[in-house]
Amino acid sequence: MHRLWRVLLCVLTLSLPLAAAPAVEGYVKIMAPTDGARLERRKPTTLIYEVNPGPRGEHVHVYVDGKEVGILRQLKGSYTLKALSPGRRTVCVKVVNRAHVPIGVEQCIKVTVE
Amino acid sequence: MLAENLAYALTQVLHNFGAVVVVGSAAFALWAPALPPGPEKRLARLAGFGWVVQIASGAGISAIGYYYYSRFPEIHGVAAAAFAIKVTCATAGLALALLLQLRGDRWSETRRRLCWRALAVLAATALAAAAFLRWFS
Repeated sequence: MHRLWRVLLCVLTLSLPLAAAPAVEGYVKIMAPTDGARLERRKPTTLIYEVNPGPRGEHVHVYVDGKEVGILRQLKGSYTLKALSPGRRTVCVKVVNRAHVPIGVEQCIKVTVE
Repeated sequence: MLAENLAYALTQVLHNFGAVVVVGSAAFALWAPALPPGPEKRLARLAGFGWVVQIASGAGISAIGYYYYSRFPEIHGVAAAAFAIKVTCATAGLALALLLQLRGDRWSETRRRLCWRALAVLAATALAAAAFLRWFS
């Protein structure tokens, strides 16, 4: 039991440095709204996106001002953002891996809600 | 990529077997005929070991993500609640298993049985929360 435990730990430890600096692959395109767009308050906004998750990505998270608001399983499509409160807002779409870790493939836009 | 997947997979293997140990040890203690103090103490040690494996491998999954991407997993809503439940169960499970191991021989049989029942409930709850964490994130 103890030997198995040691072997597993050794393999795990040795495997970590093999790919320390991942190349960023894949892309996220937010087609709508556009960066700098002015949106109406109390009106839902349709987010139109296209994603290539690359070999490391698995699905996509949507954020408004850093707060996760949705999970997207489709690589291309739309997502309805609930009415945003007035002010300058940052909308981000990030590719995450199976463990929900953002892998660095993302796009953020800034919109103004009036 | 291979190394990253290998690291995740091996850590998941530990996590899965940790779950087997915490559920199995408590189930065995409850369904088996009354155990003598020695074996019961060893079983409590096994349960504690299972919870340690659960905590370490759970933290390991987060650590692997941080190692590769300098970021921790991002979860919210039901998944975040399920995660909090898992952490609470693991902490309480480890504490109870340690208490059972260190002070169990001074407890009455009723109290020890209650402790095993609590360990079984914590293990089952953590296992159930894992399913919600998996599918609500």
